[in-house]
Amino acid sequence: MRGVLRQTFALLGLAFLPAIGQAVYERERVAWSEQAMTEDEVTVEQARAWGDSVLWVDARPEEQFQQQHIPGAILLNEDRWQELLPEMLNTWSPEKRTVVYCSTQSCSLSHAVARRLRDEAQLKNIYVLHGGWQKWLETNK
Amino acid sequence: MSTSAHVQSPLMNAQGDHGSSRSLLWSVLALAVGGVFVYAGALKAWDPVRFARDIQNFHILPWSIAIRVAFYLPWLEIVTGLALITGFLRTGALAILSALMLIFIGATIAAHARGINLDCGCFGSVSKGLSFTSHMLIDLAILGTLIALWILPARVGRRQP
Repeated sequence: MRGVLRQTFALLGLAFLPAIGQAVYERERVAWSEQAMTEDEVTVEQARAWGDSVLWVDARPEEQFQQQHIPGAILLNEDRWQELLPEMLNTWSPEKRTVVYCSTQSCSLSHAVARRLRDEAQLKNIYVLHGGWQKWLETNK
Repeated sequence: MSTSAHVQSPLMNAQGDHGSSRSLLWSVLALAVGGVFVYAGALKAWDPVRFARDIQNFHILPWSIAIRVAFYLPWLEIVTGLALITGFLRTGALAILSALMLIFIGATIAAHARGINLDCGCFGSVSKGLSFTSHMLIDLAILGTLIALWILPARVGRRQP
């Protein structure tokens, strides 16, 4: 038993070395205390300032979209990607800025959908709403 | 001088055993499961900020802790995966990987029970769109292999008289 513990602690310690090295190397790039905005994110205020040129894309599951969503938003999630993408492309136009959102800042669905829109659909001007639906509700109270 | 073949499981000997050869089945399973952890760890170590976002999606840890875990956990997976493959500190590696799998399974079940649409980020884009059932089947398969590695003899050698 002591052998198992000794080996376990040895490995736990060994893993610290590269982890600390990487953390030191990337320390300037990382927000350690609170999640910073990524390059492709926009705030609710920024997106609102774009007015009618914004195409809102809701990346949440359909049930949540049906309950409530940003006015004018269209549904596009990964569960029904093949089915919903053509509908989204019909609404999309090159002069519009597409802002994708999901539930909260911590959800990754909006980032995943935004990546696929850029990589697979080859669309430009794709953004992610910082704070997601939750932030939208807070700023609309 | 009489000799007799014997086998040792990691439970029987955590110190290493000189003069014996590794069991082929144990080595194959260790390579498979260790390789999975090295691959998964490398994918996450490549972009720890993205992995921190995936951790936060579980709604268990605040960002300040999630980002630190995101820097450490991938390297723990890589180091323990390599340890399992090479046989160096293999019992410790088995203990850590088993504990990690129990934590992953617990967190996945908890997230599912709270209605969180989960992207665990475990295998980068490969795991995107996996259902809860698929996640659980993969996790249970890995845990099952780890249990087999605990039970199966790791070494086949000759006992000294």
